[in-house]
Amino acid sequence: MGGERPTWEAFWGAIELFRDPILCALGAGVALGFLSVYVVARRMVFVSAAITQAAGLGVAASFFAGLKLGASFDPILGAAAASLLATLLFTADPARLRLTRDSLLGLVFAVCGGAAVLLASRVTQEQNEIQNIIFGSAVVVRPFDLQAVAAVGTLVLAIHLWWFRGLTFASFDPGVARVQGLPTRLLVTVVFLSIGVMVGVSARALGALPVFAFSTLPATAALLLARRRLWLTFLFAALLGGGAGVGGYMFAFFLEFPVGASQTVVAAGLVVLAFLVRLARR
Amino acid sequence: MSDAILRCDKLEIGYGQSLLPPIDLSVTEGQFLGVVGRNGAGKTTFFRTLLGLMPPLGGSVALAPGTPIAYVPQVSQLDALLPIRSRDVVGWGTLRGWSFLRPGRPREERDARDRALREADAAVLAGEAYGELSQGQKQRVLFARMLASDPRLAFLDEPTAAMDVVAERHAFEGLVRLSRERRLTVVVVTHDVELCAKHADQVLFLDREDQTVIQGDPQTVFTHPEFVRHYGPVKVDHGG
Repeated sequence: MGGERPTWEAFWGAIELFRDPILCALGAGVALGFLSVYVVARRMVFVSAAITQAAGLGVAASFFAGLKLGASFDPILGAAAASLLATLLFTADPARLRLTRDSLLGLVFAVCGGAAVLLASRVTQEQNEIQNIIFGSAVVVRPFDLQAVAAVGTLVLAIHLWWFRGLTFASFDPGVARVQGLPTRLLVTVVFLSIGVMVGVSARALGALPVFAFSTLPATAALLLARRRLWLTFLFAALLGGGAGVGGYMFAFFLEFPVGASQTVVAAGLVVLAFLVRLARR
Repeated sequence: MSDAILRCDKLEIGYGQSLLPPIDLSVTEGQFLGVVGRNGAGKTTFFRTLLGLMPPLGGSVALAPGTPIAYVPQVSQLDALLPIRSRDVVGWGTLRGWSFLRPGRPREERDARDRALREADAAVLAGEAYGELSQGQKQRVLFARMLASDPRLAFLDEPTAAMDVVAERHAFEGLVRLSRERRLTVVVVTHDVELCAKHADQVLFLDREDQTVIQGDPQTVFTHPEFVRHYGPVKVDHGG
């Protein structure tokens, strides 16, 4: 800091270094942006927050298990497992436990957040990396993380495009879909699991903060832009998610900010832009 | 189950404990059954049980095997902020079981959708955003979705509740006409006993407070002392 600002020449000169994190942000942004339409339109933003928090706990637990218990496994597996576990919990009927869905969400969010901090405090040598994962400072990503995001993102998008009509019907009008014989429970579970697994693998690579932003803000912007076509809302959200991922990385590089926070701010900026476009249309 | 398309035997409904005395009912193809009762009478619980959205506490509900059913809710679960065209809402009506696995939108589904929009007098709304329609227009779109699914048995939960008197009468008459044309069996929950008296073949009166279940033709139900005590006399003028 204090010297010259980074230039395009410097950026292209080091593109080999930046390529993987940019591709990772693009892939995660597109897939999470697509899924964000379900998150926002079904009013389950807090579900996304709680799953992201669980992914953070999964990462902390992986480091803790490796260093303190001698059970070494990749943090991306810990993140995916914890977010899947949280997701499965949310697909269950909380009334059976005499809980409301909101209280269950609050419980998972608080427990995962607190437990992640407690575990992180016991693995001091990895605390910096855990902080990076929670707040997102993905200057570089490991090839395995990129491969995981690409593979899971492609699979999730392929299933969602193929089953698009069934998934949207079951998600947005479940009562009627069930009466018409659609496997509503399965379809809703597929949506939840898609969000859970995508959040899990992306959180390890990019950090929990930008992952939460990608799974909520692109749809917020897309719902302001699209007026009549549902598929266009999903398309806009995917493009805006990818744009926020790549744009945020560039923003961080040129203005020398942390990457995760930059991606979050860029995603929020796109919402403001979409709002202005909506106002201008009136 | 003879020629009944819908049959309830000693059906008990409720959450944990039975709301009403056991219900026996038999509806044959092409019949129009009106379900009436005051607020909180148990109509919606009865309806949800018929639709399989909640289990019966006792007795049974049976549909004729392979009967395609459709449901028009009182208020759609579709969020008003969701950007979706009316034709796409109606298009969902063409989905059954696992048919969503078929790629693209087959021609026969598009034809069924467009035909249903015309029959429900909703073709002009096809390109409109569903969330921006009036309640009456939304109900026409939901009627169209019901028709697009080509059901033999349709359940409608107070479909005209949000309409004014003229729109309600128009919608009811349209529903009766379509049910006659398609030999569609209709089960409709309604507050409008006058329209029910005019169009229904059978009426089911439910009252949770008085633990009353009365079932029969409109003349029988609307002249029953328990019914008259709550609603007063109703003129039965079956327009068939």
